Amino acid sequence: MNELGKKLCDIAFDKQKADYLLAMREESGNVAPVFISKGEDIGEANIDYPYQLVTILSRIYPWLNKGKIAIVARRCDEKALNETIKRGLFDGNRIAVIGLACSKEQIKKCRCNDPVPTKVDIGEPNNGVNTDELMNKLQRISPEERMDFWVRQFKKCNKCFACTTNCPVCFCEDCVLEERTFVAEKGIPPGLSFHMIRTFHLADKCIECGECERSCPVDIPLLTLRKMALKDIKDLYNFKPGDRETASPMLTTLEGELLEDDTHVC
Amino acid sequence: MSVKHVLTTCPYCGCGCNFYLQVVDNRLVGVVPCKTDEIGQGRLCIKGYNAYAFVQNPDRLTHPMVRDGHQLRKATWDEALDRIVSEIKKIVSKHGPDSVVVFASARCTNEENYLMQKFARAAIGTNNVDHCARLCHASTVAGLVYSFGSGAMTNSIPEFENADCILVTGSNTLETHPLIGARIVKALYSGAKVIVVDPRETPLSRLAQLSLHQKPGTDIAWIHGIANVIISEDLVDKEFVATKTKHFEELKKVVAEYTPEKVEKLTGIPKEKLMEVARVYAKSKKSMIAYAMGITQHSNGTAIVKSLANLSMLTGHIGKESTGVNPLRGQNNVQGACDAGSLPNFYPGYQLVANGDMKAKFEKAWGQTLSDKPGLTITEAIEKAATGEIKAVITFGENMMISDPDITHVEKALSNLEFFAVADIFPTETSKFAHVVLPAACYAEKDGTFTNTDRKVRRVRKAVDGPGEALPDWEIVCELGRRYGAQGFDFNSVSDIMDEFASVAPAYGGISFDRLEKEMLTWPCPSKDHAGTRILHVGGFKIGKGQFAPVSHEPPAEEPSEDYPMILTTGRNLFQYHTGTMTRRTPKLERESPEPYVEIHKADAKPLGVEDGDRVRISSRRGSITLAARVTDRITEGVIFVPFHYAEAAANMLTNPVLDPIAKIPELKVCAARVEKA
Amino acid sequence: MSEFNPTILAFCCNWCSYAGADLAGVSRLQMPPNVHVIRVMCSAAVKPEYVFKALSQGIDGVLVLGCHIGDCHYMTGNHRTAKRFPLAQKILNDVGIDETRLKLDWVSAAEGEKFQQVITEFVGVIKKLGPNPLREVKF
Repeated sequence: MNELGKKLCDIAFDKQKADYLLAMREESGNVAPVFISKGEDIGEANIDYPYQLVTILSRIYPWLNKGKIAIVARRCDEKALNETIKRGLFDGNRIAVIGLACSKEQIKKCRCNDPVPTKVDIGEPNNGVNTDELMNKLQRISPEERMDFWVRQFKKCNKCFACTTNCPVCFCEDCVLEERTFVAEKGIPPGLSFHMIRTFHLADKCIECGECERSCPVDIPLLTLRKMALKDIKDLYNFKPGDRETASPMLTTLEGELLEDDTHVC
Repeated sequence: MSVKHVLTTCPYCGCGCNFYLQVVDNRLVGVVPCKTDEIGQGRLCIKGYNAYAFVQNPDRLTHPMVRDGHQLRKATWDEALDRIVSEIKKIVSKHGPDSVVVFASARCTNEENYLMQKFARAAIGTNNVDHCARLCHASTVAGLVYSFGSGAMTNSIPEFENADCILVTGSNTLETHPLIGARIVKALYSGAKVIVVDPRETPLSRLAQLSLHQKPGTDIAWIHGIANVIISEDLVDKEFVATKTKHFEELKKVVAEYTPEKVEKLTGIPKEKLMEVARVYAKSKKSMIAYAMGITQHSNGTAIVKSLANLSMLTGHIGKESTGVNPLRGQNNVQGACDAGSLPNFYPGYQLVANGDMKAKFEKAWGQTLSDKPGLTITEAIEKAATGEIKAVITFGENMMISDPDITHVEKALSNLEFFAVADIFPTETSKFAHVVLPAACYAEKDGTFTNTDRKVRRVRKAVDGPGEALPDWEIVCELGRRYGAQGFDFNSVSDIMDEFASVAPAYGGISFDRLEKEMLTWPCPSKDHAGTRILHVGGFKIGKGQFAPVSHEPPAEEPSEDYPMILTTGRNLFQYHTGTMTRRTPKLERESPEPYVEIHKADAKPLGVEDGDRVRISSRRGSITLAARVTDRITEGVIFVPFHYAEAAANMLTNPVLDPIAKIPELKVCAARVEKA
Repeated sequence: MSEFNPTILAFCCNWCSYAGADLAGVSRLQMPPNVHVIRVMCSAAVKPEYVFKALSQGIDGVLVLGCHIGDCHYMTGNHRTAKRFPLAQKILNDVGIDETRLKLDWVSAAEGEKFQQVITEFVGVIKKLGPNPLREVKF
């Protein structure tokens, strides 16, 4: 067990009194996600690769009916937990956060303006950046040029569904993107509607973790598209996802209305 | 409560992406791409993300079965294995060892393939061992061995990103090798010239700067046409040709006939476009060629492969970074199965069985007298089973009743066998004919290695237990070997098998499980201190000089006629995989592409009165199938395309079993067909 | 060159706008013939997905018509509609589609004339905009 591993275990099991820890470690020459129970050896912990641990947890969680889980979370993961807990996917009392402050490089890669977790346990807090160059450019050019840009990007899409599969806040059991009714095109690429639908669905819950962009095999700048929609919803309703205190999801509920149990679909 | 993330290699195409299988208490719950993997880089395709879904399907074979009369009934392992051994022994004593064939599998690990061919050669005593590479890249192995001395991809997958020019032909790369396709797209979007030559419009050809559509079966003509332009416009790398190659003059004489005008007539490719392609390919600093089944599955597949190799040698685009001739292997371990010697003419490591020294070496290593007579290929074995010369077949994970050409004939051959044993993970169309069916463990339930298309040896790790009594193929073969009374089948782990394989195959000499745990190795890796070889033929060819091949264009075996006016070509799509045993049991994949279809050009559909979605019947000289039409303008007029995944309308009912004379690969890409409204 | 004849979809809610359209028809009000009316139970039943699909397949304009705020047969349906469609318009703009190709308006059962007016105006706007560029885009 390395220093970092020891620190993670201390925070998870001693301070937070968790029963499980979800983190990352070095293994067979690679960096892997790792889920251990209290008392197990974490090995050589490593936090240099941004695995989307909330998504990873979402597949394990249904099979764990008790116990508290500590999860290494960056600010965006923390927000992802807020959004998912709000929608009833996790029991908030069973999740403990180990706050990870992102490195400067990571912040630059994500064009992130909110990189510091509520409580920093690991890493040094760095300032966020406020500009997404590509987004600025796209807002400057004409709509025709903007359409050309996106059409050229979306032509690359080979429908791997990485953007939905790896997304921490994409959790509908029946995804509209998988239905012929909405995405009519046969084969690949799936066309413009696929990406517009996804943009709309994420507008009130995307927490800008950037996992869609990182895991897109053909490098479509999806995070920029997400950021554009987030700006839209901010401009319209002064709403920003990721906040646990905001009682209900923006697009599916009306003001003062609570989320019904079965309506976490959008 | 146990939660594991097990690093393993994707069981689908030859890209060989690594991912983590998420396991909760022996239950597979998901796939997480490995972010530090050099090939996948934390990315996968839709098949990769769903590679966990079929594993614990209730259809899995869970116990051995033996045939009693017309029924397959449940049996114990002892009974099933003893039945195989006694039947094979009986047939060998009556008809000799060459009346038995073992079909190994490109879906199994290197270690398992090594054991399967060892079982055929050392236990039964025949070189009749082959696998499905026969149906995909047999012509690559034969062609590139002739030209360069090595039948594998010359360069590595990451190099696609840095190429200046990529010539892709006969490969629907974005659909069939999505992560290689993604690298080509990345190069394209950062300024590289991508040229696609294909009878169909593919997702990649729609993006490419240059997209050419040839008439199926005219590949040598256009490739020679490019060579003609390269020579006549003086774009030849003269120094390379003079110092590193031979037979240039012969080639020059042959390609002189293939003027752009003549090529236009033969192939339908406009001469200006052909000339532009030749110039772009020759003048770019780093030019790569990538190809797949569209080149190899022809009755002259070996010759087409050689003619592609000619192009790279003419321009010196080989032996350097981001150059070379790159066959994209279609299956997770088709490269490894060839390397491990599951081929009728090669011992492990491409050592000829007909060569006395090699034979002596393996006789010493295995402590058995071996046959020096090259064995039968899959396609020949099926033929001889039909005529009764082959009496028994043992098959590991092959589904010939979907994958082989002219299924009606395959059915006749299989019914004709005295004894037929199948080991597989699911009941298949083929296992219906078996006398013994063995339940095998799938990739997630065993350890071993796969060798991907760019020769990287990648670990497969056990994540969950197999269903019921299912066993890994290597344990099955070890058990068969021991019961057969043969020496050298007492392995306790796959790591030991790899060690033996490495000791007899020089290219794998330095590869061991210990090293693979720490580093990524690419063969050739001859010794423990060797770091592996990413680019082949650096500084020259190992065989001395590369050989130009003065081959000539010949029309395909079957050309359109009055009765069968269309050309039928077959292939894969993104969502299904081969015979669909796994993907058709994966809900997310099946939903994307649930039913068989034929792509037909608008202009061809109109006179038939066929509209998009209509049912049509397609017939060839061998059979007919009924399926839905997809009317499109994304295919050449006169050509129809059917994916071969679907048992309910199996494209291989129609295909032509005519063989390439050298590689014995069938002409799955061209046959004459007729379309009617059903 | 022949005059551009746009293809337009109008989603009309069953309780108000569709009845409004009916009234316009019964009253023999003249309207441009470019509009295909699709009857839905509530404007809130019009998923933005339908709009995205229609526009990405080359439909020139989409109208969504519901009951006036306060008059929804399902109490709050049109409140939801009112919340969603401004965002959908912005997303159209983000990918370069003119957001005026999507219009949300309220037409009651008694407003035959308003129906005529909304349709006529919208067809005029779309005619001025010209054909949906996505008609020509081949993915």
